[in-house]
Amino acid sequence: MLDAGRHPRINLLAYSEVEGFSGEAGRFSVTVRKRARYVDETKCTGCGSCAEKCPTEVSDDFNMGLAKRKAIYKHFPQGIPSVFTIDTRYCRQFTGKKCGVCKKTCQAGAVDFEQQDQLLIFEVGAVVIAIGYELFDAERIPEYGYKKMPNVISAMEFERLLSASGPTHGHVERPSDLAAKARLAELAKDLQRTQRVLESYEKKAGLTSAEFFQKYQAREIEGNGDEKAWAEKYLAFQKIQGENELLTQKVAHFAIARKLAFIQCVGSRDFRFHSYCSSYCCMHTIKEAIIAKEHAPQTESTVFAMDLRTVGKGFEEYKLRGASESGIRYIRGRVAEITQDADFHPMVWYEDTKNRQVEHMDADLVILANACVATPGANQLARILGVELDENNFIRTDPLEPLSTNVPGIYTCGCAQGPMDIPESVAQASSAAAKAAEGVLKCS
Amino acid sequence: MNKQEDVRIGVFVCHCGSNIAGYLNMQALVDYAQTLPKVAFVQANLYTCSEGGINEIKNAIGLQNLNRVVVASCTPRTHEPLFQGACLEAGLNPYLFEMVNIRDQCSWVHMQEKEAATEKAKDLIRMGVAKAGLLRPLESIELSVTPSALVLGGGIAGLTASHSLAKMGFEVVLVEREAELGGLLRSLNRILPSGISASAYLEKIVSEVKQNPMIQIRTSAAVETVQGYVGNFEVAVRSLAGEENFKVGIVVVATGARVFTPEGFYGYDGRRVITHLELEALQKQGRAAVDQAVFIQCVGSRMEGRKYCSRTCCMTAVKNAILIKEANPKARVTILYRDMQMYGIENEELFRKSKQMGVRYINYDPSQPPLVEDTQVRVFHQLLGKEVVLPANLVVLSTPLVAYPDADRISQLLRVPLDVNRFFMEGHVKLKPLDFASDGVFLCGNCRYPATLRETIAQGLGAASRAATLLSKGKMFTSGIVAEINAATCVGCQGCLEVCPYQAIYFDEDKGICFINQVLCKGCGACAATCPSASAQLSGFTTQQLLAEIDKAVAA
Amino acid sequence: MSRDVLVIGGGIAGIQASLDLAEMGLQVHLVEKLPSIGGKMAQLDKTFPTNDCAI
Repeated sequence: MLDAGRHPRINLLAYSEVEGFSGEAGRFSVTVRKRARYVDETKCTGCGSCAEKCPTEVSDDFNMGLAKRKAIYKHFPQGIPSVFTIDTRYCRQFTGKKCGVCKKTCQAGAVDFEQQDQLLIFEVGAVVIAIGYELFDAERIPEYGYKKMPNVISAMEFERLLSASGPTHGHVERPSDLAAKARLAELAKDLQRTQRVLESYEKKAGLTSAEFFQKYQAREIEGNGDEKAWAEKYLAFQKIQGENELLTQKVAHFAIARKLAFIQCVGSRDFRFHSYCSSYCCMHTIKEAIIAKEHAPQTESTVFAMDLRTVGKGFEEYKLRGASESGIRYIRGRVAEITQDADFHPMVWYEDTKNRQVEHMDADLVILANACVATPGANQLARILGVELDENNFIRTDPLEPLSTNVPGIYTCGCAQGPMDIPESVAQASSAAAKAAEGVLKCS
Repeated sequence: MNKQEDVRIGVFVCHCGSNIAGYLNMQALVDYAQTLPKVAFVQANLYTCSEGGINEIKNAIGLQNLNRVVVASCTPRTHEPLFQGACLEAGLNPYLFEMVNIRDQCSWVHMQEKEAATEKAKDLIRMGVAKAGLLRPLESIELSVTPSALVLGGGIAGLTASHSLAKMGFEVVLVEREAELGGLLRSLNRILPSGISASAYLEKIVSEVKQNPMIQIRTSAAVETVQGYVGNFEVAVRSLAGEENFKVGIVVVATGARVFTPEGFYGYDGRRVITHLELEALQKQGRAAVDQAVFIQCVGSRMEGRKYCSRTCCMTAVKNAILIKEANPKARVTILYRDMQMYGIENEELFRKSKQMGVRYINYDPSQPPLVEDTQVRVFHQLLGKEVVLPANLVVLSTPLVAYPDADRISQLLRVPLDVNRFFMEGHVKLKPLDFASDGVFLCGNCRYPATLRETIAQGLGAASRAATLLSKGKMFTSGIVAEINAATCVGCQGCLEVCPYQAIYFDEDKGICFINQVLCKGCGACAATCPSASAQLSGFTTQQLLAEIDKAVAA
Repeated sequence: MSRDVLVIGGGIAGIQASLDLAEMGLQVHLVEKLPSIGGKMAQLDKTFPTNDCAI
């Protein structure tokens, strides 16, 4: 990443999109819209003071919604270019409210609310499409309860939980537990606020709230505006306190998610959605189970799959290691349904086809290996470039010309053309580079 | 170097997010580093490898007048070049940089012992700082690069790589051991889903390669010796044209693999119980009238002694099942499998098509393998829970691709490694799939690991691209970490010469001492470890530097 | 005629293609729609089968 950002011959245009395109191989004309970050890239040092002071918190996409970031943000800490961006959908300055704190805080004078998008037009000899992929929305499978049950999550969400730089610093906590902790933090704030209001009443009346309330209930005090409000506040306080106590006790018993259930082929190998196989998820899942066990030796993982596709170098051995060293159980069976109990513990219902038994298993966390699907921007980009997509919306290639598209001079590589793992994407990237180089070196 | 030099060491301690900071007391490490001799500056970073971290190193070198840099973070394997680059950009010789691994070698392996791990990290930093103080600036050697390539192997991988390199303007010498170009594709029947005949496809690309004036082809040929080093290899090739010498800049290994012959498995006899390769030979000759066939997957693979899944066998079986059904819709074809490895989009499509055509699939467990008898095959059907009997007048075994027997010879010739299955071992299985760890040698196709036609074409192109990044430069720089021999103390025992794996040392008869060719030297240190008079020293890892580390390892 | 190459997408594939082309001496324009490059791989913790860090 850093190499790409620093290479003298790579003109990095991040936060940009291709808007216009014409011409032919050897002389394509490209129009790129470089979107305004409202931060001057040449001045921003990436120090982060602006984000510290920004009052607006929003959901962090990079962490799959499991964490928050600010309206002025960096996509992720090690991101290149190492500069901040203002998300104008949420920034107070851009949504009609007053702010400007980031600008005041920035010592480099990099914040610029007047910045404009730039339209860059240049000529190229060849194009490589490497737009990657998106992940299937598992909500489309209602029997899995994704988004309805807090402890049924997607594989990428699990990656973020596993990540040392993620929202839980690598502790695999159940989302319902995280929500409870967040609620506890909210309650603590409410408690403080309510207490302050009560104290102001107490000062005026010279009574504790408890004493006041007793008299109020025994109708020893007249109920005018002030007293009524005080009484109501006191009731509210008791309610918050009660919830706080219960939740505190509950949270004290929270442990990391120990029993993990991994479900393969979510949206893949599924006639209702995508009949193809996403290639890498079997391996991805095994890796997650192995890493989870490394983080917490008491972890028990079960993988529910049809065929366990371990077709790459070292993959079968990795799968075996998963079983022998990390205790992973591999079950041949597709999960029919997931239910949950009052404590948000998911229950997985499946047939163990090798034993021909219908079973159920309770888990702390269910991880869905959702399918690799075409990136949503593919249609628009394909239109702009005049490139054909296949029936799955991936860039169409010929099996005997695997890097070429229907347009001479435009090549593609990686998941943009279909699901594949990292070594394949890296190898294909070099291949597409070779094709592009063959093309441009010819015409000189 | 001026002995009076005021050594000023900068120590950068990396949190690595919580990879290190989660398990060690970072403040204690920073405080400790400040107490070490000759340390002029200490800084903690969240991610030293980030742009911010790199800038901090560069700034500190300038502002603090640092002449040595120590980064205590992760593994030099992935990040040393990055930090060395930062030093270089700040005007500091990149060999005045030392890396201390407090992640892989500390925080990651002592996750439950914060105090002890922190003490260990202090030890490691102390050792690194001691060595850093003794580092000397080293220089790289500039080498020219011959803008031509040797491609070993004339199968589709080698043909693709050669063709691409030629189109990019480089000369290619293509060496093939057989009399004909084409490799495994010559023996195959048809490829699905395109339906083309393998030979028709091959003919086209072979003729393109033969017609390209940049490519010299030698068939019935073998590479006898490879001398020299990246950018400047000298290769001796023996072929029908006699013995020839070529000068090339890089080498691409595309030597392919062979189909395993399952002697002793399932009554294999090459007549009724055959391999898919043999089936395709019959299909090509139009002699494969199949009536009742049973295919068995994973024969000789995914077992003790050969654990890997050979990637292409399931799709080959499905392809041949489809072709049999196309020729004779009434034929009964049953495939006995453990996992159907039909990954991706095309394969899954073929899989579905085969089922629609009536090909049947039966899951078996390796603990209860099928039994091949004279006219039938018995198998315990996992999903039914009982044995089924399948009449079969043809049994086809899916066997893995295995390394050619001469893989060892080529590995020694080029000084590149093989893995446990004798496939060539790439530089990094994820991020450098087509490069070897040694510079100037690349690989593609089945010799690395079984690959489909589509994947092999892509890999061939990819290897060409990787090679082109070197060939297009005209010149390159070697590492400064090389050994040298002190002529004054060398006694000419030649112990070093005998242990050098790169044949980088030669003995001068007249002078009676040994010399090192620093261009061939890869800095492995074997000579330095062997030399009884400590005359051979590895720059960057001298005896003095290593003893300083050892001293500091045991006492503060 | 131009020898420049446009690479659309700054994930691992786009980055690798850009580096190869740049190392071959060609000028590359790497366009990425998100605020930084890295793509999906940056969101991964470790990668199989070596369990190396994804970044």
